[in-house]
Amino acid sequence: MTAPAIQVSRPSPLSRAFGLGSVFGKTLRDSRRSTIIVGLAVGLLILAVSAGIVSQFGTAEARDEIGNIVDAVPPIMQGLAGKPVNVETLGGYLQYKYGGFLPLVIGLWSILALSGTLAAESRRGSLDILLAAPISRRRVAWEKVLGHVLMVALAMTIIGTATAIAGSSLASLPGDAISGGAAFGFAAWLGLMALVAGSVAFVLAPFVGRGSAAGIAGGIMLAGFLLNGYQTAIPELAPFANLTWFGWTADHIPLANQFDWASLAIVALVTVVLLIAGVEAFVRRDVGAGTALPGPRLPDFMLGLRGPLGRASSERFPTGLAWGVGLGLFGLVIASSGQSFIEQIGDSPTFEQALATLFPGIDMGTIGGFLQLVFVEFGLVLAGLAAAGLVGGWVSDERSGRMEMLLPTPVARSRWPFSGGIAVFAAIGVLVAVTAAGLAIGAASAGGEVWTPVLGTAAIGLYAAALAGVGMAIGGVVRPALAAPAVIAITLVTWLIDLVGGDLGIPDAIHALALSSHMGQPMVGVWDPVGIVACLALAIGGLGLGVWGFARRDLRG
Amino acid sequence: MTAVIETQQLTKSYGPHRGIVDVDLSVNEGEAFGFLGPNGAGKTTTIRTLLDHIRPTSGRATIFGIVTTDDPVAIHRRLGYLPGEFTLYEKLTGGQTIEYFANLRGGVDAGYQADLIARLDIDPSRKFREYSKGNKQKVGLVIALQHRPDLLMLDEPTSGLDPLVQQEFYSIIREAKAEGRTIFMSSHILSEVEKTCDRVAIIRDGRLVRVDRVEALRDMAHHTVELRFVDEVPAAAFESLPGVSDVKAEDHVLRMRVSGAMTPVVRAAAQYELADFVSREPSLEETFLAEYGSQPQATEAQS
Repeated sequence: MTAPAIQVSRPSPLSRAFGLGSVFGKTLRDSRRSTIIVGLAVGLLILAVSAGIVSQFGTAEARDEIGNIVDAVPPIMQGLAGKPVNVETLGGYLQYKYGGFLPLVIGLWSILALSGTLAAESRRGSLDILLAAPISRRRVAWEKVLGHVLMVALAMTIIGTATAIAGSSLASLPGDAISGGAAFGFAAWLGLMALVAGSVAFVLAPFVGRGSAAGIAGGIMLAGFLLNGYQTAIPELAPFANLTWFGWTADHIPLANQFDWASLAIVALVTVVLLIAGVEAFVRRDVGAGTALPGPRLPDFMLGLRGPLGRASSERFPTGLAWGVGLGLFGLVIASSGQSFIEQIGDSPTFEQALATLFPGIDMGTIGGFLQLVFVEFGLVLAGLAAAGLVGGWVSDERSGRMEMLLPTPVARSRWPFSGGIAVFAAIGVLVAVTAAGLAIGAASAGGEVWTPVLGTAAIGLYAAALAGVGMAIGGVVRPALAAPAVIAITLVTWLIDLVGGDLGIPDAIHALALSSHMGQPMVGVWDPVGIVACLALAIGGLGLGVWGFARRDLRG
Repeated sequence: MTAVIETQQLTKSYGPHRGIVDVDLSVNEGEAFGFLGPNGAGKTTTIRTLLDHIRPTSGRATIFGIVTTDDPVAIHRRLGYLPGEFTLYEKLTGGQTIEYFANLRGGVDAGYQADLIARLDIDPSRKFREYSKGNKQKVGLVIALQHRPDLLMLDEPTSGLDPLVQQEFYSIIREAKAEGRTIFMSSHILSEVEKTCDRVAIIRDGRLVRVDRVEALRDMAHHTVELRFVDEVPAAAFESLPGVSDVKAEDHVLRMRVSGAMTPVVRAAAQYELADFVSREPSLEETFLAEYGSQPQATEAQS
């Protein structure tokens, strides 16, 4: 039946391994940039921070001082940092200070990759064509999964190598050297922590779609991180913390030469089981068939069908509400445990003295003080990510092609982005209100003063509005596709500067560029006027710039 | 004749929503089969069920004698598919996209591939995201055609193509048919099916309402007859004739729809001074509209 082929093309072995010769090869090709970025960024960070640590704490006395400071911190304040083991050594300090958040960052990469590897293709329709090729669904899924696992392994190899180099070339005091085994244990732990988070997203994606799968997996990862971090402060959380991979591997602190390989085996086993379940779910279910997660349905009068502002508000409010509920719950848990903090401060004069030195004239021994120390930093990061989500919604009119239909209506071109921007700010208002309600309930339940932290929540809203303004300016003037990623990048870089700035010896002038360093101590009623003005200028100016840019440039898809 | 596609009471439900119901279909080797129906009738659901992208709720389907859910890979090895709606990899060029799918299949005739790219006037150096809707559709067509499959499954293949490229596409389809390949093509553009297909199935509300040869469908339809007389003629003289309906009089002209034999109308017209007689062969579109418009509960006429 088929006419004879004259010149038949075959994929080369190289293109099958890396390129367009196979699904596996294409997966590697597609993720090459993200792998290099993750591997090199984290590897270089470890090298730079290590250099900073041995430079700043170059003597045995300075190292002892680290131990003393960590010992003086009340258990409730140790919160999100890991267990302090051998913090006087380079490896122990690295693991203590950075071991907590690195699994979050790398886990996010794995979640985004594994939630989208099949679901994103299904959503755009390319999976229909791919699965019409003579390759079984199971093979397609495994090739994609194994491609990602290999790239995670490659990134972890870079990170492990950087850690080993830091431990061998920068070690300046006895105990600083990081063995190859310790570096491997650290990299293997990071990789597995990332993959288990990604595998949760992978197993959920065939059922609920990419966005929901990534959101749920991210939520589970974050909840595990928080539960594990606060189980010392709130013993009632311990049983739940032990259900998470953060809890399972709590005793695996490889850079401090404390290993718990069995816990890694459990994480690996769970990862494999989840991946198998995800592949089989994909094989057995209809392609593209998702199950919508039950959620609140807006009543008709809230759909905002009367005009651009109502419609945009209706689109943005659920996002603001969801982030507000998350932040509010987080704040509620923290605030409600504030009484223990006040009691522990009384038991630790050294720490009380340290607080008095750091915050002269401010009484940090309050619920608001505890929120300032524990909630605000992470709250600003979450507010920044919320702003990114809202900005992503703001540009979606243009990116989805809706704007092609909206612009021909007799409404001024600039009104669409302007109304959308107002809706973004209004949604941030919803986020702030719900967060404030959570803090109020928590503070009241702990018997603390309520109104100061409630008013302080406005600072989180101002910060989110400022970042949203920056995003809208970028989306309006430069390119809509860049808006949300830019906000995420600014949020994470700012957090990173706060986190590593001290160890890296970053000059104050550079640190001052981070907006988060100008937010004052709002939870105890101390506001920084410079920060408030800067936030308002960025929010309003950013929206104005975005509207101006959108009105003048070509529509982009 | 060997049946390439066969379905028996193929049914697909999406929870409470109707997909397709009891679809019985047989497409023979070497024939071009049109699958017609309005939006949402169940065309794409039928095709995706045949491809095993979605699984039947009940009933079964075979392609090349293989049950679609048993060994889809063996079926896919011999078919080419173009979905109704799709987008591919934005960062790849059109050429790279075509190359990727050729690699996944293996054994693609590079000369034929290049010929298709040239005939459909594709610039393979441009990124997929930069293509217009029509150019994306062309890339999809090359992916479906490049390995010279025994069975082509095309879901609304000319969507977005300009008229010149449409003609080239029809030409390619005719060549494929001449080589003995089987074509299963969904469309709601009737003239396209009329040009390319031997048989046609009509689906509505998830159920097949007719399967017949294109000519048979046309023959079964009403003819539109226009009689121009020298003088005024009473419409009543024609209204009672067998097969005649919708008689409308305007001055000396009578217009009517005639189904079946034309003889009674000709005899009745001969009673008067006839100036002109126009009988227009119905297009498939008119047949289709008649099927869906005036006879909503049409009986199945399978062949």
